[in-house]
Amino acid sequence: MGTGPDAWIFDAVRTPRGRGKENGSLYGVKPLDLLSGVLVALRDRNGLDTTQVDDVVVGCVTQVGDQGACIARTAVLTAGYSTDAPGVTLNRFCASGLEAVNHAAAMVASGFHELVIAGGVESMSRVKMGSDGGALFDPQVIFEVGAVPQGISADLLATLRGVTREEADAFALESQRKAVAATDAGAFRRSLIPVTDVNGEVLLAVDEFPRRDATLAGLAKLSPSFQVMGEQFGLDALTRNAYPHVERIRHIHHAGNSSGIVDGATAMIVGQRRKGESLGLRARARIRSVAVVGDEPVLMLDGPIPATEKALRKAGMTIGDIDLFEVNEAFAAVPLAWQRHFGVPDDKLNVHGGSIALGHPLGATGAMLLGTVLDALEDRGLSTGLVTLCVGGGMGIATIIERV
Amino acid sequence: MYTLTHDDGIVTLTLAMPGKVNKINRDFAEGLNRGLDEALAVPGRKGIVLATGHRDFCVGADLDMIFGMRDPAEIRAVTAGLNQLLRKLETCGVPVVAALTGSALGGGCEVALACHHRVALDDATVQIGLPEVNLGVIPGGGGTQRLPRLLGIQAALEIIAQAQVLRVAKAKKVGLVDALAPTREAVFDAAKVWILANPGAKQPWDKGTKPPGPQPGSEEARNLLLIAAAMLEKKTAGNYPAAEAAVRAVADGLAVNFDTGVAIEGRLFAKLVASDQAKDMLRTFWYHKSAVERQEGLPKLKDARFNKVAILGAGMMGAGLGFVCAQRGYTVVLKDIRAEALVGARAHCEAQAAALKHLPEAERAAILARISYTLDLADLAGTDLVIEAVVEDVAVKARVTAEVEAYLGEDAVFASNTSAIPISILAKASKRPANFIGMHFFSPVEKMPLLEIIVGKETSEETLARALSFGSRIKKTSIVVNDGYGFYTTRLFASYILEGCQLVAEGHDPVLVEWAGRKTGMAVPPLKEFDEVTLTLGLHAFEGREAVTGQPLDLDGVALVRAMVTEHGRTGKAGGKGFYDYEGERRIWPGLRALATATPAKTGVDYLARRLLLVQAAEVARALDEGIVRNWRDAEVGAIFGVGFAPNTGGPLAWMDRQGLPALVEELRALAAEHGERYAPAPILVGMAERGERFFAEGAPG
Repeated sequence: MGTGPDAWIFDAVRTPRGRGKENGSLYGVKPLDLLSGVLVALRDRNGLDTTQVDDVVVGCVTQVGDQGACIARTAVLTAGYSTDAPGVTLNRFCASGLEAVNHAAAMVASGFHELVIAGGVESMSRVKMGSDGGALFDPQVIFEVGAVPQGISADLLATLRGVTREEADAFALESQRKAVAATDAGAFRRSLIPVTDVNGEVLLAVDEFPRRDATLAGLAKLSPSFQVMGEQFGLDALTRNAYPHVERIRHIHHAGNSSGIVDGATAMIVGQRRKGESLGLRARARIRSVAVVGDEPVLMLDGPIPATEKALRKAGMTIGDIDLFEVNEAFAAVPLAWQRHFGVPDDKLNVHGGSIALGHPLGATGAMLLGTVLDALEDRGLSTGLVTLCVGGGMGIATIIERV
Repeated sequence: MYTLTHDDGIVTLTLAMPGKVNKINRDFAEGLNRGLDEALAVPGRKGIVLATGHRDFCVGADLDMIFGMRDPAEIRAVTAGLNQLLRKLETCGVPVVAALTGSALGGGCEVALACHHRVALDDATVQIGLPEVNLGVIPGGGGTQRLPRLLGIQAALEIIAQAQVLRVAKAKKVGLVDALAPTREAVFDAAKVWILANPGAKQPWDKGTKPPGPQPGSEEARNLLLIAAAMLEKKTAGNYPAAEAAVRAVADGLAVNFDTGVAIEGRLFAKLVASDQAKDMLRTFWYHKSAVERQEGLPKLKDARFNKVAILGAGMMGAGLGFVCAQRGYTVVLKDIRAEALVGARAHCEAQAAALKHLPEAERAAILARISYTLDLADLAGTDLVIEAVVEDVAVKARVTAEVEAYLGEDAVFASNTSAIPISILAKASKRPANFIGMHFFSPVEKMPLLEIIVGKETSEETLARALSFGSRIKKTSIVVNDGYGFYTTRLFASYILEGCQLVAEGHDPVLVEWAGRKTGMAVPPLKEFDEVTLTLGLHAFEGREAVTGQPLDLDGVALVRAMVTEHGRTGKAGGKGFYDYEGERRIWPGLRALATATPAKTGVDYLARRLLLVQAAEVARALDEGIVRNWRDAEVGAIFGVGFAPNTGGPLAWMDRQGLPALVEELRALAAEHGERYAPAPILVGMAERGERFFAEGAPG
């Protein structure tokens, strides 16, 4: 690390993840209230003097409608924080939540800020993924770059790395099993904040996406989600310029072995150790290093590998120095390809399940995973954790933390 | 240039540029502008009918002008001027109706789109559409902006990006034309009625009316554009910047106001018009093709004296040929030695007739009535033209020739549809070698536009003239070549598919070889093409070539094909397995890689694509050198329309010009040293390179 002050995590909270559909428990809750709710909880349980908050950095991907116009600042105001606390909303696609943490850590480590709240929010039931339009899928970009929708990239990744449908389904089932076990064992208790209504009545207290009834046979019945668009609408062909030796993409991903569409929000306190302790906060972990990388955009989802390598290099660590990993389960092939590359054993990877079982609230997930790995390290008496996510447009992000 | 008449406030502005057609250039713009001013000055004018004094309404841009322009700024200025004029037309304050008594193509269609209403003569010869993309450019007169705003994004993209030209009935269906009228008078009457009923006519984009279908910027529109772009890439492998620019012009133009959209179109148009590809495609698809179709410099005959045509061999090719001839009015006898073949041929012809939905039932029946099917040689009596389409075997063909000639008159022409055997060898079996000629058709003959006419040693000029006349009548684009094994197109084709096999034998990944074929712009990748031809026929042809030329084809690629057939029983698509597996998903046979006999020093898509084009370039140069090709334009037209040579290059000669002949000669010499004499540059190429010549001078149309 540099010569500046260290960045520490003091506390982290998150909402349970609700199904991101009209039948989800959080569909009636505005994303503003999800975010505001975690800000309130974080303040109240830490007795935080919000006049001391230098910034509130929030990841959010689809910044239109309910999530438009800098939701971070609006949530600061509705949460009753001091008006001194500013807010900024940022978008690095699926890495937005972790980007918010890394951004906060960078400001703290540089000495420009002393205490920052970082987090993320996404109500996928209310603000549809992709409804913000965007430059990425403009015809010009397709002609010049060959960018394809992520599902095609996921199936391309599986094809290139030889990840089979059976392996992906087995991985998905294991994600479900671990998530259910973690829920039942109370593994999320330290971070989970119920979402309540205006009267304080609980709307959702636990993650509602995991499927206790999931079976391999059930998963095997699901149809590939991206086969029709890939084969009939020409999208597979767009990958040929970058991967001419791939004669045919094997479409293995489906709703059951890809991340779930959910609603949720999260927030954590990041700051200089001295600053936090002067406010009565307990430092739980130090942010050892952060990394973000650009990667080949057609394959798009392979970024966690170079991001992990870069974060390890910056921290002066090797893969063996890390006790637990969270590799976002955007699609089963992503953690499987990552695991094959690094040879990390199953019992260190996504120990509480991942986005396949718990869901992937786009702008929040990265920060949620960091809180999850911190809780898991504490429960197991372990020290180091690494979180990494694949990112749209061909990027990767990683963060390494170390407990006190 | 134009005439003005008016009656009851309806001003008819009739454009008739000097010459036979209205084409868009500076004179046209001036005429339209002055005519419009004059029309607007007519007291009490209620509306304008824009009409043509020629057969066609307007055939589009003056291609001489387009071909000559190389400076994007100049091109943009020209189109900006035209677009200002079209804006003036559609905002002139009175309704303007296009009276489409003839075709409105390209820029002509764009002029019609700048009118408030389009009435077309209901006649199958009247067409409307935007074929620009086929010439390597996009519409530059606002077509990419008006059409999507009028018909919606999807319908407009189909027409523009696929370069569609529609018969008026179809154009009416999609909304490109508003009304049809049965006679010229009715067209003008309908125009007048519409003007009187719509005094305040305004274009949808000037009224703020939203386009039909998905709205620009909506998720639906984005998905539509994504799929359109993806489908285009799937089809073209990125070889056609004009088609891509068409999608871009629609996508980017609809995000902004109309005038800005037109400006965006203008910038993309200028870039394309200035490009090498547009020049090469224009030269071949317009200048060369027109010259070939006019049969420039070739012997002409008013009457070929053909009435009755006999086709020998009623297979797929024979039946198709019979149908095509009957369609053009010939009395046709389909002769075979097997009754089953005749049954199949009849079914084929009936299916073809049924598919001609735009023709009245009686006309379809008349076509079929002109075809008779027979096993009896005696039915050939009185035949003026015989086209032999029996198996590719010199002895069989000779026997058939002798048998049939016994029934023919002195004046009859005997044509062989052989795809490779020299005509002069086949003519030895004929009593009248002066009347013997090669007519090489391509399958499926109903669709494939080319006819390769082969002049044998003794073929008379008269016979050639009659064959050319026949070619025109059956609406084929005829090239004329001299005799030699494989003539022109088959040599070129064989060099391509054989090189595909050779590359596999050299150890290159067949998946990469195929993709490289697509990246060159070739219509079909080489191994897939070979599977279509069937490997056994290919081997047969290789053997035939050895027998005729006396030169052994000693290539690993040939050995590989032989191993495929004899050791692995893989004969091609018709046999269910060839280079590809056809059961379930079509994919390269996994065992193919194991047939490689070497490991390549270098590989990759670019390298393989270049090899596939270079080997063909060397073959074309040899065909020129040996005098097989009589006219360079035929080399371009024959390659593209006969055997699917990459249209994006403008043809093999245009491609060679772009490489620079000196560099090309060097590259071919290096490849010849490494990979064999098939790459050796022919003397003609070496000589031209030394003299600093090119096949087609930059800026010269032919």
